[in-house]
Amino acid sequence: MQVDRKKLEALFAPPDTTEATCVIRAVDVTKIYRMGTVETHALRGATLDVYRREYLSIMGPSGSGKSTLFNMIGALSKPSGGKVYIDQVDIAQLDHNELAWLRCRKVGYIFQTFNLIQVMTCLENVTLPMSFAGLDPEAAREKGIALLKRVGLGHRILHKPSELSGGQQQRVAIARALANSPEIVLADEPTANLDQKTGEEMIELLDELKQELGVTVISATHDLKMLRKSDRILWIEDGRIVRAARPDEIDFSSSEFDPG
Amino acid sequence: MSRIQNQVKLPLSVALDVVLQGIRIRFGRSVVTIMGVVLGIAFLMAMLTGQHIKESVTDEDALRREVDRMNSFLVAEMGPVAERTIGVLQSGKLSEQEERFLARLERDKVEQINWSSATGVDAAPLLSGSAVRKAVAVQSVATDAKAVLVVGDGTAAPADMQAMVSGASDTQLIVAVSRKAHAASIAEIASRLDPPPVILERELKEDELDKIARDRRRGRFRRNWIIVISMFVTIIGIANAMLMSVTERFREIGTMKCLGALSSFIRSIFLLESSLMGLAGGVIGGLFGSAFATAAYGVTYGFGMAISSLGVLTTTLDLLFCIVAGIVLSIIAAIYPANVASRMVPADALRSNI
Repeated sequence: MQVDRKKLEALFAPPDTTEATCVIRAVDVTKIYRMGTVETHALRGATLDVYRREYLSIMGPSGSGKSTLFNMIGALSKPSGGKVYIDQVDIAQLDHNELAWLRCRKVGYIFQTFNLIQVMTCLENVTLPMSFAGLDPEAAREKGIALLKRVGLGHRILHKPSELSGGQQQRVAIARALANSPEIVLADEPTANLDQKTGEEMIELLDELKQELGVTVISATHDLKMLRKSDRILWIEDGRIVRAARPDEIDFSSSEFDPG
Repeated sequence: MSRIQNQVKLPLSVALDVVLQGIRIRFGRSVVTIMGVVLGIAFLMAMLTGQHIKESVTDEDALRREVDRMNSFLVAEMGPVAERTIGVLQSGKLSEQEERFLARLERDKVEQINWSSATGVDAAPLLSGSAVRKAVAVQSVATDAKAVLVVGDGTAAPADMQAMVSGASDTQLIVAVSRKAHAASIAEIASRLDPPPVILERELKEDELDKIARDRRRGRFRRNWIIVISMFVTIIGIANAMLMSVTERFREIGTMKCLGALSSFIRSIFLLESSLMGLAGGVIGGLFGSAFATAAYGVTYGFGMAISSLGVLTTTLDLLFCIVAGIVLSIIAAIYPANVASRMVPADALRSNI
């Protein structure tokens, strides 16, 4: 059997401490979902590095394992095989307590379906992660108001998510993702449920915030505008990363990017 | 680079805030869950209250019958008590039955009761409220009296008995004792009495006592059985409602976990929510159940009887028991749903489209 030496070394080598700029490293990550007797291989060995302060876009058709990859590198579930390092810590080594800490402070999540808590006001949605982090309510309130103002919702802080438009809800979600000043923001198709104009606004906002706060943004998207703004684009297909490129290397007018 | 730390454990007050908000927003569903607890607890409380009312009505009934019987025994010996004098030799405290019996004599217009108490017995409260009861020395208890009653839970001193008989003005004095325990003390003077002394206490045969005890046991067993079944129904009802509440909140739980909520926090949310509902259900159910039982038995036995037979202490204890039962049952019922919620992997919780 042919041994892939490079892969093997990468697998067993201790995380490279000199390369401090690498915030997320996934090595040969596999994920198998079992539904009764049927096994679904969502990831078949995805390997990628994410560098600090970069804007990384991940492209791929639906069913290619994009969301699963997001869950893995966001520490939302554990891989069936391979390793995921966040800030050079192997997440497989963490107990649920430390994972909760990691999700709370290191990573901010933005979802396609916003996932705001419907029974809470915008402000409470934004301050919830802060209270999980143990911030005292007064400070959390102030920071929450500041964040909501920053995303342009200063006048809607006491509204319920159901009283807001999609774009406004996604703004709240962005404010919530930034609540504990994370290093990494994971955005899973953040513009997919928004109309074109709102989507563009959202991209602008994310870009501004990335420049301002120096966070690392990883987003799954098909949105050309988003791809153009990103530093690097990865293609995922059938559970593997198949291609990586910079936006200036790509011809965005090719048929690959035809909408629909 | 900051190291990975343990997530802070949140104080219960944060969970309480989340829970109260959830209950307020999902008020309709919460009310339905609480109604389940209310029904279970109301049933429990109604059973307990009903049992108390029934027991005390039965006791009251037996007491009245017994007083009637004692009265007719005495009347059979001495004829009607009206306008006659009766002596009372009290040794120790009176039972409820004895007090009622003496009150009954007064109601039947006895002219005078010569009252003598053994040394060390405080008869003042018994004498103060009555116009016909006269405190006398033991020698004059039987003076002018047709009959003498020996009552109380002590034993009358033989010397007192002798003195009492010596002071009798009626040669055919009837001596009646309210308890069998006094039989020994009257034995000594029995020779000096013309009609032999009378024992008013009824002698229950062993098989009669057995039957009474057996009936009570059987009644208790039946009641406990019904209570246990109703508790199971309550637990299953609450567990079902809580599971619904978990499924309905998959997304919310997943989101909270993504934001850094600990499993223990999720668990405490559900346990807290359930115990709050149990508290509300227990209070409402307890009040409702006791009101219902009182009303139902009130129709049968009369409202005055039903209400007076409920002691404040027993009712309060029952109510407390019901509230505690409501909370405990709700917590038991919520353990499984809370575990389901807290064990969910955030990614799976988010994936579900409910």
